[in-house]
Amino acid sequence: MDKLLRNKKAIILFIAPAFILFTLVLLIPICKAVYYSFCNYKTLHPIKFIGVDNYVKLFTKDRAMRAALKNSIFFMVFSIVTQFIMGLFLAALLTNIRRGRNLFKNIYYLPCVLSSAALGLLWMFIFTPKLGINQMMASFGWIADCTEGPQWLFNTEGFIILPIIVISFVALWQYVGQSMMLYMAQISGISSDIYEAAAIDGCTKTQVFFKITLPLIRPMIATAMSLNAIGSLKFFDLVYNMIPEGFLGDKAHVLATHMYTQAFKFNKLGYGSAIGVVLLIMCLIVTLLINKFVKVEAYD
Amino acid sequence: MSAKTETISVANHRTKIVHGFIYAFLIILAVIYLLPLAWVIITSLKDDAVLMISPWELPARPMWENYSFAWTMGHLGTATLNSFIVCTITLLFSMIFGAMAAFAIAKMRWKLSKLVLTYFMIGMMIPVHTVLIPLFVQFSSLKLSNTLIGIIIPYITFSLPITIYIMTGFFEGIPGELFESACIDGCSIFRMFTTVGVPLAKTGFMVTGLMSFVANWNELLLAMVFISKEAKKTLPVSLTKFVGPYHTNYCQMFAAIVIAVIPTIIVYCVFANQIVEGLTAGAVKG
Repeated sequence: MDKLLRNKKAIILFIAPAFILFTLVLLIPICKAVYYSFCNYKTLHPIKFIGVDNYVKLFTKDRAMRAALKNSIFFMVFSIVTQFIMGLFLAALLTNIRRGRNLFKNIYYLPCVLSSAALGLLWMFIFTPKLGINQMMASFGWIADCTEGPQWLFNTEGFIILPIIVISFVALWQYVGQSMMLYMAQISGISSDIYEAAAIDGCTKTQVFFKITLPLIRPMIATAMSLNAIGSLKFFDLVYNMIPEGFLGDKAHVLATHMYTQAFKFNKLGYGSAIGVVLLIMCLIVTLLINKFVKVEAYD
Repeated sequence: MSAKTETISVANHRTKIVHGFIYAFLIILAVIYLLPLAWVIITSLKDDAVLMISPWELPARPMWENYSFAWTMGHLGTATLNSFIVCTITLLFSMIFGAMAAFAIAKMRWKLSKLVLTYFMIGMMIPVHTVLIPLFVQFSSLKLSNTLIGIIIPYITFSLPITIYIMTGFFEGIPGELFESACIDGCSIFRMFTTVGVPLAKTGFMVTGLMSFVANWNELLLAMVFISKEAKKTLPVSLTKFVGPYHTNYCQMFAAIVIAVIPTIIVYCVFANQIVEGLTAGAVKG
């Protein structure tokens, strides 16, 4: 038996396909991306090594990059905070009711499996000035005319512009189900003995939640938060489909759309790679930070 | 005695009120979730002129033409077929490769297994954006851009981390005695994998398959970069044609949205519990 399980040839055969794919499609391209990011590389032009020029330009001269960084970080913080609160709140509510728990759970999770590209189109329509929400507000008499209502997706004033805030709420609507689901799984895994003991000691529901449930699901909070953080840094589909390209200029970029525009519209592959590398580093740092400060060893 | 029953009934009364509030809140939220989706379906059967005047009313006569327009003129028919091909092949290969690697990591004995698992897990943190440009350059030189195989390969790779992670958990859960008795019966390691491991991890396959199917069905960025030919576009890419200030036929756009989300809605309705299980199985141990 032992000999069978130590069969080197079999192990290599089992691991090889996944390992080779990983190396060819992830590891080598990442190394290449890092190399490109130090080069002046445009489509149909030879590659020229230019050192850190791309990064210098990215962080000092590029106004779109500043907006993209600002918007992406806003997305990330917003989604970490709101998804944590809403997700945990929904999970707590749903674990406390008996009838219809599965129904509600499935409804709230539904948008997570739908295409954000399609949902982006839907929400773009709902927030169009002349139609959707503004028309509803006008028909209720809250605003005189639907064109006078808020320009949900076209207002470019303020530090964080309105379209970005609107999109982050849409993202919350779409993805909160995932956080909820993760927290629910963890909560239902907590042994009922602990709750019974707490009930005998006369704890209130609020006390039980803060003193028992919350500490016990801390490992899951870390997992859900890092998923949210990475997901919101990678954010592309909703922004791309809800804000018509180039409509708001540089202000409505996030890192992913900025990279896409630079690399595949302006053909600046080296410059785009630099943005991709920044994105990767941000993902890694955020995951490490969350795991360091939120995660603890699981209680048994 | 009577005082005690009174406190209990007061307490019951309070819980009832609290539960009433909870249900009211949950129902309102459910409406916020379902209303936009229902509205898309209704609007997709309308005429643009009617939509502008009364966006909230039911259509007098359903306009099925919107669907046939989106299906043929919007090239959504081809796009749906492409999406199906891409997702099915990806699903098959990511499950086979993922299960093989997971089996070796979970059940076989070798020194580097933890390290290799970590290598695969790092893949979960890597955004597709970072490898997009080098892959694009590489694949164009290999003449793989504008082919379905060119997006299938990255899709398989990006489905692997979560597949391996979940399948490792499932294989670890299979008791070692089963493999031992198979060994006594004279099974080779490959037969052990196919006749003991794979059938017992059926739930795992179900779960990972669904997750990879849904994720790849919705993937936009990579498909958009790699594919520019109309005949090879996948659904999310074809949908982007309907964006923009110059595209004004909203009802057709809504028909297109419905076409794009219906397959995942069906898959979700049938397999909701497995998807949920998979999501949690994958994350609980993390």
